[in-house]
Amino acid sequence: MGELYDRLAGDVRFVEGLKACLNCGTCTAICPAAEFYAYQPRQIVDILQTHDDQAIESLLKSETIWYCGECMSCVTRCPRGNAPGLLITVLRAASQDLGYFVESEKGRQQLAIKRTVGEWILDYGYCLYPSEILPEKHPEQGPVWEWEHEHIEEVMERLGANYKKTGPGILRKVPQEDLDEIRKIFDVTGGTARFNAIENYSKQKAGEMGIDLDDTLDNDYMKKIYTENSQNHGREL
Amino acid sequence: MGNRWVAPKRLLFSNSIKMDPQVIIIGAGIAGLTAAGALAEKGHHVLILEKEAQPGGHVAQWDRLFPSRRPGSEVLDHIRKIMDGRVEIKPGIRINGIIAHDQDFTVLTEEGTSYTGQALLIASGFRLFQAERKEEYGYGIYDNVITSAEVETVFKQGKKLLTSKGTLPQRVALIHCVGSRDEKVGNLYCSKVCCVTGVKQAIEIKEQLPQCEVFSFYMDMRMYDRHFEELYFEAQKQWGVQFIRGRLSECSEAPDQSLIIKTEDTLTGRPLRMIVDLVILLVGFVPEPETGKLVEMLGLSTGEDGFILPSDEHYNDNLTTVPGVFLAGAVKGPATISNTIADARAAALQIDSWLKTKP
Amino acid sequence: MKVEGKRRIWKDYQKEIADDRYFYVRSCVRQNFFPASEKMFFRILKEELGKDIFENAAHTTCSGIGYHSDVVPFETTMTMVARQFALMTESGYQNFTTSCITSFGLYTEILETWHHFPEVEARVRENLKKATGREFDKPSNLSHASDVIYKFRKEIGEKARYRLVNKQTGQPLRCVEHIGCHYSRMFPGKGVGGAEYPYVLAGMIEEWGGEVIDYPERRHCCGFGFRQYLIQANRGYSLSCSKKKFDSMAPYKPDLILTNCPGCPMFLDRWQYTLSEMEGTTYGENGQGIPVLTYEELAGLVLGYDPWDLGLQVHQVPAEPLLDKMGIPYDSNRKFLNRDGQSMGRPKAPSFLKFY
Repeated sequence: MGELYDRLAGDVRFVEGLKACLNCGTCTAICPAAEFYAYQPRQIVDILQTHDDQAIESLLKSETIWYCGECMSCVTRCPRGNAPGLLITVLRAASQDLGYFVESEKGRQQLAIKRTVGEWILDYGYCLYPSEILPEKHPEQGPVWEWEHEHIEEVMERLGANYKKTGPGILRKVPQEDLDEIRKIFDVTGGTARFNAIENYSKQKAGEMGIDLDDTLDNDYMKKIYTENSQNHGREL
Repeated sequence: MGNRWVAPKRLLFSNSIKMDPQVIIIGAGIAGLTAAGALAEKGHHVLILEKEAQPGGHVAQWDRLFPSRRPGSEVLDHIRKIMDGRVEIKPGIRINGIIAHDQDFTVLTEEGTSYTGQALLIASGFRLFQAERKEEYGYGIYDNVITSAEVETVFKQGKKLLTSKGTLPQRVALIHCVGSRDEKVGNLYCSKVCCVTGVKQAIEIKEQLPQCEVFSFYMDMRMYDRHFEELYFEAQKQWGVQFIRGRLSECSEAPDQSLIIKTEDTLTGRPLRMIVDLVILLVGFVPEPETGKLVEMLGLSTGEDGFILPSDEHYNDNLTTVPGVFLAGAVKGPATISNTIADARAAALQIDSWLKTKP
Repeated sequence: MKVEGKRRIWKDYQKEIADDRYFYVRSCVRQNFFPASEKMFFRILKEELGKDIFENAAHTTCSGIGYHSDVVPFETTMTMVARQFALMTESGYQNFTTSCITSFGLYTEILETWHHFPEVEARVRENLKKATGREFDKPSNLSHASDVIYKFRKEIGEKARYRLVNKQTGQPLRCVEHIGCHYSRMFPGKGVGGAEYPYVLAGMIEEWGGEVIDYPERRHCCGFGFRQYLIQANRGYSLSCSKKKFDSMAPYKPDLILTNCPGCPMFLDRWQYTLSEMEGTTYGENGQGIPVLTYEELAGLVLGYDPWDLGLQVHQVPAEPLLDKMGIPYDSNRKFLNRDGQSMGRPKAPSFLKFY
């Protein structure tokens, strides 16, 4: 039993998610990611079942583990009580904490998520925040959102929100002392360490790739990871 | 015992008092009927108590049996011939109590009658898995999802297999492992006979409807018994049945009531969608719920799979932990008809030996 | 299709939903995109049903989106959830109800994890104490806000001023119901009706006069996929999932789509717009889209609230065709006015998708 396997097996979600796979395929049959990507959740469980550290390390560096949408459809169907979706969360956690995520195009995207959703959790107390959802970064949100964004305070007021104000209510300003508590929780539970790992490994990788990465959202590396798609992620026909 | 001949109890009381059977058999399926015949041949007095209105159990409902596809009625007739005139069958009986005395058992029924015998054979068999419990397959909701048992009925009645709209199906899918090998429905075991039943029915469908495409979706092909593997080969080579290794994940209904099935072809590693006219669910065995009452009444035990545990799985497979209580057939778990007949005869032999030890 | 078969399954999956004294935690996506829905939830519970519903202003996100896009570790998320429970305890409540479906799934998963691994719960308690000084009791009842509306669907139905019926034809409206993945996929027993034929939204539709439409891709994820949407390079996944659903439901000509997850209505709404821009396809009649509603929006319409108080003006697929079918009056001139009745301009119209 390798070190890497043992590390994964220490996670309760791994214990819950990996019983024994008989390769029936009901997970892959229903998986949305398997419809569009060269991905089979069955394969993930199969590889983990081998306990082979080398195979697991390849997995952590691959594009493969980043295709899953964590919809958990696989969990509903598995006749052995496995949960490929849960195992993916364990693999992604390890991939980031060990720095392997920067070896894949999809894995490198984690920095963009950390600098948006991750930071907003700490700065606002929400995973999303209206002023941050820029229409130009989200053309798919449509002209209504574009209009809403332009008039956000008035629209929020019209719809009954308590935007940026104190007290209870929609999109209220979460008091600083509560945001401080969240930061402390992150510090104590490894959240800050995870954020730092994502940053540090990404900076290292950007250096290796010779691409500019500063602390903002608008540099070459950030643009690259946000938009780059090799078009090579689909199943061979 | 010496030379003194002791008249058996029943001869002394032959006219005035109801004769007690020596063996009471619970269940008039193939196991109970076979054991009854074997015991009668050895001169024993046997009474069978059956809960349904008709004896014959599940075999009475099957059309043709694997692997040779000979009629099930032939087997049933043969077994019955052995029993005829020598064994009493009481149908429509519901047992609500069993008292174990020192030397015999009294069985009490809901109808208010009671029967006493020196040996008890539990041959109460099995039920088929209720397919609606596998919710994602849509049985009982989508009209064109049917079970293997319903297919047998269609064939036994000499009818053609049709869709819900009365049309001939152009493409059917047989689904293996329905209700078996499935933690989600609480049955971890393999039901043993469904794979070969699926192969048999695939051939029968092709026989009846040569133009119909037949696909079988399996996890493993359990072709363990004599002639099974050859039947599988025949299904592919002679009849063009296509076998895809992937368990059915979901079934949904299209506007025209045809069915959309989602599986993965695990051998090529590709998810698969298919539109079919009929989905046939190969339902497995589950323990007969009424047997649970017998287990409680007699203090027997069941395995984790819910079937009764014999005294020893290898060499005392027909005995229980209670002296005088015997087991035969699918009450112990999934079994083929040939297995069951052999098992019932073995049980009869055990019972015969045991009765000979009694005064 | 035999609906009887579905009813039998619905009966098997009943769950206990608290009937009062709710501690409410908000949804990140809904606060951003459907704020009026959360507002309406409070109004329905307080004003229509006379219930006690409470929000502690110190509460935050559960970090669900961060957790499911894998930037936030499980340990951190569990502790943030524990903090929410601590706020509930401190506020004197025991019935926890979430606005977000991902939250609901997450809280359920975490409570189950603590149940099976008590050492994990002990560690989380310790960490929460260390980080914040707080302690918590676990909720005695956990529900999703749609469970609560489901529970009171009869009461809402009795007060209804409008039914889910086409005023012109007299026919029930054809309603697609879409359940968020994290409602019952992991723990079918925790969802009303289970995972295959959930009843939480179907029950509302039936109670208020509509017809529930089943279609082949009913159970398919809308495609949020967390990281599959957040990163532009991945959005094809998200869009494709929704497209599968639209293509599958279109032949059944639904009048509306009802959802109970925060993300799903947003995606099912926006992806219709995106597909119309990319391909010119629209899924409703005559270049219209299929309106997508939250359960508060639908309950609000049925109860007779003003569509612009319900936030329908910020939908990209306009709800006007549905309002017309239901015979609900609305003032188009007031659609894009602010609270004081002043104009805020108008959004631009899309290229193909009809806009009002």
